[in-house]
Amino acid sequence: MNIHDNAALCDKLAAEYVLGTLRGGARRRFEAHASGDARLRLLIAEWQDRLLPMAEFAGAQPVPARVWRSIERRLGLRRRYAAWQIWRSESLVLWRSLSLASVALALVMAGVTISTLQQRPQVDHVAALLDEQARNTLVLTADSQRRVLTVRLLDPAPVASDKTLQLWAVPKDGVPRSLGLLDDSGVTTLDLSAAAIGADVAMLAVSLEPRGGSPSADGPTGPILYKGNWVRMM
Amino acid sequence: MPDFQTIDPEQLRIWLQGAARHDDAAFRALYDATSPKLFGYALRILGKRELAEEALQDGFVAIWHGAAGYQSQLAAPMTWMTTVVRNKALDVLRRHDGDVEVGGPAFDAAVESALQDPRANPIEALLVSHDAKALAYCMSTLEGLHRQVVGLAFFHDLSHSEVAQQMAIPIGTVKTWIRRSLERLKTCLTKGERA
Repeated sequence: MNIHDNAALCDKLAAEYVLGTLRGGARRRFEAHASGDARLRLLIAEWQDRLLPMAEFAGAQPVPARVWRSIERRLGLRRRYAAWQIWRSESLVLWRSLSLASVALALVMAGVTISTLQQRPQVDHVAALLDEQARNTLVLTADSQRRVLTVRLLDPAPVASDKTLQLWAVPKDGVPRSLGLLDDSGVTTLDLSAAAIGADVAMLAVSLEPRGGSPSADGPTGPILYKGNWVRMM
Repeated sequence: MPDFQTIDPEQLRIWLQGAARHDDAAFRALYDATSPKLFGYALRILGKRELAEEALQDGFVAIWHGAAGYQSQLAAPMTWMTTVVRNKALDVLRRHDGDVEVGGPAFDAAVESALQDPRANPIEALLVSHDAKALAYCMSTLEGLHRQVVGLAFFHDLSHSEVAQQMAIPIGTVKTWIRRSLERLKTCLTKGERA
């Protein structure tokens, strides 16, 4: 059968090919014809444009974050976002759960024991910031009553004399907000503002900046060394 | 979830061209914009979330590799991506043959009632692309059983004889209904009849 001379047959076969009811040998023969015939390929594309929108009748479904992570892993995609745009390439949920899992350990390491917390119920937010190796490196405690934010460096890495560590609250939308510069030697006490513990804070991060802090109004300019998230104590 | 109404085919085309140049930010944008729809579709074919996730993953890996070969003068971007995910879902279906149940009518009650009369039902909430709305309207002009036959074949990759078995009707009738339905849809879509 020479299908090329029969326009109506070509169209019918293209339609049933796209719908899926063209089967077996007939399907394979049609594919072979199409591979050498641009007109047939055009008919197929037209039927795809007609029928494939049926897929949308199924309705959209939220996709679990692990699907993207697997795709990224399989394709070896490199992350080319600005260093502070962490939330674009990593799951916030992952970071939240990491923070939760590590916070107890962090409290012990920082010498802030649970009993101390009970005596000081005003500490209502705690965060453990981790480095690349997922080690607890910084512990933040916030007292929203007295408006005090305390930052403890657990194992301070040496910071060059022309550099400083800067703490940021990264909101879900917009640019990161600076919460202040950290004393490289150990404990820093900062004023706690709504910018630090607002509901829109997606992540906390510490970047390495020139002495005096980031020169940019748009957020960090240096590498992100530590990141993590708040855990509300009550 | 993104607002699908704002995704125009031209934007998808630009992102696909970006993916073809291995621009992973463009690819991520494409994924964010289209994956919920494509996941819903894969889930409809496969019925199980883990299988649908597998199909979606395979689909996007193939989209990344195939983006450079995508010919924009032929099918629309969403059509092409849907075809890729569909083929991957059908591969998964074959690999897991037996684990997947076709489970009666292709459309659930909500979709079916929406298709019977898109003007009286909230199809606007369900289908948002211009093409899908036009197709929904044209499908609503088919007789109910004809529509169901077309839906079964499409969503579950059934042959004429499998559809005949599912619906308990003669295979000759299935072939006739499908042929007429496809002709009717083509005429309706060509005329641009609207709800």
